[in-house]
Amino acid sequence: MLTDPEVLRYSRHLLLQDVDVTGQEKLKNSKVLIIGMGGLGSPAALYLAAAGIGTLIISDFDVLDVSNLQRQIAYSTADVGKYKVLAMKQRLEALNPQIRIRSINKEMSQEQLSMELSMIDLVLDCTDNMHSRQKINTACVQTKTPLLVGAAIRMEGQLMFFDNKLSDSACYHCIFPQNSDESLNCSNSGVLGPVVGIIGTMQALEAIKFIVGIPSELKNKLKLFDAKTLEWQTFSINKNLQCAVCGAIS
Amino acid sequence: MIINVNYQRMDVEIDLNIKQLFSLLKCDLDGHAVAVKQQVIERQKWASYQLQENDVVSVFQAIAGG
Ligand SMILES: [Zn+2]
Repeated sequence: MLTDPEVLRYSRHLLLQDVDVTGQEKLKNSKVLIIGMGGLGSPAALYLAAAGIGTLIISDFDVLDVSNLQRQIAYSTADVGKYKVLAMKQRLEALNPQIRIRSINKEMSQEQLSMELSMIDLVLDCTDNMHSRQKINTACVQTKTPLLVGAAIRMEGQLMFFDNKLSDSACYHCIFPQNSDESLNCSNSGVLGPVVGIIGTMQALEAIKFIVGIPSELKNKLKLFDAKTLEWQTFSINKNLQCAVCGAIS
Repeated sequence: MIINVNYQRMDVEIDLNIKQLFSLLKCDLDGHAVAVKQQVIERQKWASYQLQENDVVSVFQAIAGG
């Protein structure tokens, strides 16, 4: 049931046939975990809080640096030196006091991550390194938790969705099995702010669609975004039966 | 035969497989994914996957940043 203040706040959702009251109630009853409160996590968390996701769990162990502000748009200059999750929690509570926000201010172990995942509907991987990406993917496969992956660097972005509840779902490791972090990240290579913003916003969009039940074309797909040409390329990923992470799980 | 790799036309020998394409491109295998006609090809099939005339091949790297 939606309260009167909720009906007012979400009126533009309620006017959409694809969402309506039923969809808004699904959003209200959903729990979403966002890991990484940087350039992807900033727009993703803002949009999901604004959309009325009932419980948002935000996780990051970094302190805000002044060089983050070029792309991590949820923060202000006064937040420099604060833990990102704490600054973000304040920002999201100010944006939407009608939802619950829980923050996790440390790097989760595989066990803790699996425990968190057992209680939620969807994870957004908004992290900035390969080690975290592999760890999150493994935990999502093991707990059968749907995973939306976003990544961006320089002038390109990647977006993937794995619905681990389905037995034919591929996983991140099927396509990118390497564990080393020699692949580029934003600390050792530049990135344009709007590029991470576009990918983080797409993660929020796909998260809302998934929870409401609007069909998505992103399942078992990788989308590449080229910010120079504005072209999107779409690739299909089959579950790799020899994948070390999801191959043995059916 | 002619194939198209990341929007570039390439003239290659018939029966070239994906692994051989990597050495032609002087590109290291780790950290890359390959798609032929928009379908990602599993790593263990790279040595046996023979490219065909006019194949559209995409080679790209994992991005970790965010
Ligand atoms: Zn897999």
